[in-house]
Amino acid sequence: MLAQKLHLLRHNVLSFVSSRTGSDFTRRQYDVIVVGGGHAGTEAAAAAARLGAETLLITQKIMTIGALSCNPSLGGVGKGQLVREVDALDGLCGRAGDAAGVHFSILNRSKGPAVWGPRAQLDRERYRQFIQSELLSTPRLTVLEGSVDELLVSQPNPEEPGHHRVTGIRLVDGSHPILSSSVVLTTGTFLSGSLFMGQTTSPGGRMGDAQSCAGLSYTLKETLGLRVGRLRTGTPPRIVKESVDLSLAQLQAPDKQPTPFSFLNTHTRCKPEEQLPCYLTHTTPGVERVVRESVHLNCHIQQDAKGPRYCPSIESRVLRFPGRRHQVWLEPEGLTSDLLYPQGLSMTMPPELQLRLLREIPALHRAEIRTPGYGVQYDFVCPTQLTPSLQVKSTQGLFLAGQINGTTGYEEAAAQGLWAGVNAGRTALSLPPMALSRTQSYIGVLIDDLVGRGVTEPYRMFTSRAEFRTYLRPDNADLRLTPRGFEEVGCVTLRRYKKAVSVRDGLQEALMALQSVALSSTRWREKLGNISLSENKSTTLNGLDLLQYKDVSFEMLASAFPECLSQYFEYSQRLKIEAVYRPHCEKQSREMERIRSEESLSLPSDMDYLSLPVSLSQEVREILDRVRPNTLGAATRLPGMTPAGIIHLLNYVLRTGQRNRHTEHRNRSSQKEGEKGQLCASNIPISQ
Amino acid sequence: IFFVHRASPSARGLCIPTRAVCDAETIFALSSGHGRCGVAVVRVSGPASSMVLRNMAGLTQALPPPRTALLRRITDPKSKELLDRGLVLWFKGSLEGVRPAEAGEFTRRAFHAGKLGLTEVEGLGDLIHAETEAQRRQALRQMDGELGRLYQDWSYRLKRCLAHVEAFIDFSEDELIEDGVLNQVDSSVRQLETEIERHLKDERRGERLRTGVQVVIAGATNAGKSSLLNTHRVPPSRGTTRRPLVEREGVRRARQRVEQADLTLVVVDSTQLPPDPQLVAAFLQQHLSTVLPSPEAGMTAASDKVLLVLNKSDLVPEEQRERTEGELRERPGLPPACFLSCSTSTGLEDFLTVLQSRVKTLCGDPLSGAPSLTQARHRAHLQQSVQALNQYHQYRDQDLALAAEGVRLALTHLGRITGRVGAEEILDIIFRDFCIGK
Repeated sequence: MLAQKLHLLRHNVLSFVSSRTGSDFTRRQYDVIVVGGGHAGTEAAAAAARLGAETLLITQKIMTIGALSCNPSLGGVGKGQLVREVDALDGLCGRAGDAAGVHFSILNRSKGPAVWGPRAQLDRERYRQFIQSELLSTPRLTVLEGSVDELLVSQPNPEEPGHHRVTGIRLVDGSHPILSSSVVLTTGTFLSGSLFMGQTTSPGGRMGDAQSCAGLSYTLKETLGLRVGRLRTGTPPRIVKESVDLSLAQLQAPDKQPTPFSFLNTHTRCKPEEQLPCYLTHTTPGVERVVRESVHLNCHIQQDAKGPRYCPSIESRVLRFPGRRHQVWLEPEGLTSDLLYPQGLSMTMPPELQLRLLREIPALHRAEIRTPGYGVQYDFVCPTQLTPSLQVKSTQGLFLAGQINGTTGYEEAAAQGLWAGVNAGRTALSLPPMALSRTQSYIGVLIDDLVGRGVTEPYRMFTSRAEFRTYLRPDNADLRLTPRGFEEVGCVTLRRYKKAVSVRDGLQEALMALQSVALSSTRWREKLGNISLSENKSTTLNGLDLLQYKDVSFEMLASAFPECLSQYFEYSQRLKIEAVYRPHCEKQSREMERIRSEESLSLPSDMDYLSLPVSLSQEVREILDRVRPNTLGAATRLPGMTPAGIIHLLNYVLRTGQRNRHTEHRNRSSQKEGEKGQLCASNIPISQ
Repeated sequence: IFFVHRASPSARGLCIPTRAVCDAETIFALSSGHGRCGVAVVRVSGPASSMVLRNMAGLTQALPPPRTALLRRITDPKSKELLDRGLVLWFKGSLEGVRPAEAGEFTRRAFHAGKLGLTEVEGLGDLIHAETEAQRRQALRQMDGELGRLYQDWSYRLKRCLAHVEAFIDFSEDELIEDGVLNQVDSSVRQLETEIERHLKDERRGERLRTGVQVVIAGATNAGKSSLLNTHRVPPSRGTTRRPLVEREGVRRARQRVEQADLTLVVVDSTQLPPDPQLVAAFLQQHLSTVLPSPEAGMTAASDKVLLVLNKSDLVPEEQRERTEGELRERPGLPPACFLSCSTSTGLEDFLTVLQSRVKTLCGDPLSGAPSLTQARHRAHLQQSVQALNQYHQYRDQDLALAAEGVRLALTHLGRITGRVGAEEILDIIFRDFCIGK
């Protein structure tokens, strides 16, 4: 391990001298190669290494590993849930957020703990440093600076489904190939990426970085025959903080007491009083005017014909919702940074017009731009070509994660990266692939949506996408994922596992203690004073029943029964949340069971839907043929799918499945996929 | 059968072979067999066939080319009332290769081909089984999607409610979404609850129309129940279903029957009435209390679910009968009474008129007002939907995630009738109604 560290250090130092000297210092054979050092790549590399795979991370610039390319923030509603889950599986981004956060707040505080959104503004420098030092200290992980030119593929293993098998990569410098059992591609916006500002375009995936990997693009499209689509995104100009009149904006203070993202942390690196504020301001009619006047000079926005349903830029906002005030958040970029990030002002017009636009906002009337905003267009691989383990269906050992799968956002990238890394590692170690159920995690929802339905616009997580939102809460992500992450997946370290198990046991004890105190409602009223209980006087209620009431806190109960409850004070908030949601989650458990059983019924990947001898409409056949859902569950959620169609499909699969089970190779994969069910088939944690 | 393969499932074929026949008369027949079936093929043959086609299928201009099917509204040639919609076509040559479909075959095909929503399929099921005129009209209305439209409208509004709650949950912290959004949802949800509840309170009218009105004939031994049933040999034209007689011996079972019945005919032997007309009302009241279940069961003598039939009127002196009728006319606390003689059929017409109006009230006039429920399944889902909406109000101020769960659940239940609503559909509405950034 020390050798590896030194190795990375030497390499890192060397990289300043020459950016292409990598191969001399690397082995020629790895278990897993991860291409890309963003949120997906770093999580993938770290997860594969945690699993026990010898892992190589290749990035164009070691210095940009862990860079926040766009907004200086992490988490939020839906995204915060993803961060908690990545952390529960021992990923990096939660702890990195705790180390780099300079402004913590729980969004949706007033709307119910299931939809609370832990969020933080980040210090870019601290975030990068944390991720880099974390990778540095990860055993079995090597980092190499270089550009991948080609993906090496060979004949598939005939025992497994697929037409190709990945064998490694070759770098741009034309040196010898680096071989591996699996490869994870996390190339972000660099796949045939081009940058847009005003009327000028240039090739690239991020301003200031090297061009994108044309050779890789070619392999994916031509050699592997993967379907790709094109997506667009953008970033706002960065503003010099000193030039902003913050007295004209509304101050947004952070939470007084920062809440860490990570289940391992009790406090954040930034002290409560060191936190920085954000500022809120609004667009004016002048902003709209500048946008309209500059449309003809704005290539990116002109090509917006089949744009996303949401509004990715200020241009699209004012063009689609004219005559309105739009919010602009002025966010700090770090403790020592002299810049502000104007969230909501992503734009692609020429720089001089960007300045004019900014200055139409009162607080920004003297604003100076450090770097202008720009747009990016890039290729993504239609994710319906992936399995729930994020492997390309046609290519054994090739995994994709992040924007290459059509998502947007750090958290979405990190979640996929972690899961792709897990499965790349498992494949290299000859373990069967695994899938996460959408009944168990947002990561499961994310991946199931991607591979089951595909994307037409950059995919972002919302809590409304999760059917079992009241169960998939930020507070219980550790109970949902950590024990399995250790026991079955292998991506969780012992330290975290022990902590999660002790929390689980503690909560379970506390719940039992709460249930053991039972009184009539009259007696509860006497004990707790003025609380309104709807039950009639003689009904007996236990402590858990009582904790469901809005006005009842665990502290109140503990003071009424100090001898048996006071030892559980540390869990008071989690107990309260559990008490409120438990009855609803129990009601949903049958529906969860149904979805899980549909998820575990895999559909053969080579099914000929167009001529299947069952009663299906042509329309449904075409949908199925296009998307090729991995499981019956995914088929059920396809738009346009009819209930009758599902029944016929189910009957057909059950009929033919039984006949073929022992004869055909492809069923090996469905049996393997069946094992993934074990990961999901759990009861609601902390059963009574 | 070739002409309905990809057409509307409601299609009944009116198929007109203009085969050269020497007979001067034009004949027609239901050629798809009698009884219940999904598609009826009516054959018309003879010189007046083209006139039938013109008059009943509204083809006043020109006939379509032979062997070409057209979807037409098929109307009564005189009243022009819509009878059905269906395919019409005509042949010059022979009819070889045509075979009538099996019962329900086209329904199943259409459903499996994804051409029909569930409401429409159920409507078609009703049409297959429609025996009476009123049932046929109701089924046709449902086919045309009136019920479907009503449910779709609720579904659409519920989707919007959900989208706005979800938008408030997912975006209000970052984007400009006014607090007023939730207040609008509050009132929309209330409005929906009211409408669905009102619809549920139609007292099973549509269901009755579909399953037939349950009529029980009750009375003492020898009062003339069997005679009434036999007299009532007119076809069950208003959707009545005959029920076995209720004999006094099985009193408890009888009462149970009466309790479940939509309409009870209490048959009384007129010769047993007190000769003094002034005592008749009290006598009948007493009699009813022995025949009918207790008032607590929701059935009182005055209920409009009871008709008194005073049988054997021919055996009562006419003068006494008239005076008694006068006494009983619009007597509060007593159901309407009809004198009638099963053996002479005197008074039968009047009785049938009263019976008919009762049944009409029970079933609702299918041609006016809101469509009624035709399926108990719908009722169950609608009830669950309303219950779920209750959860929204319950948690609205306490926990918006749980409140939203109520709306989600309500939409799931409604979706069992109108079709599943996925997360993407909700997002469509969110992105359309609100300006959401990256």
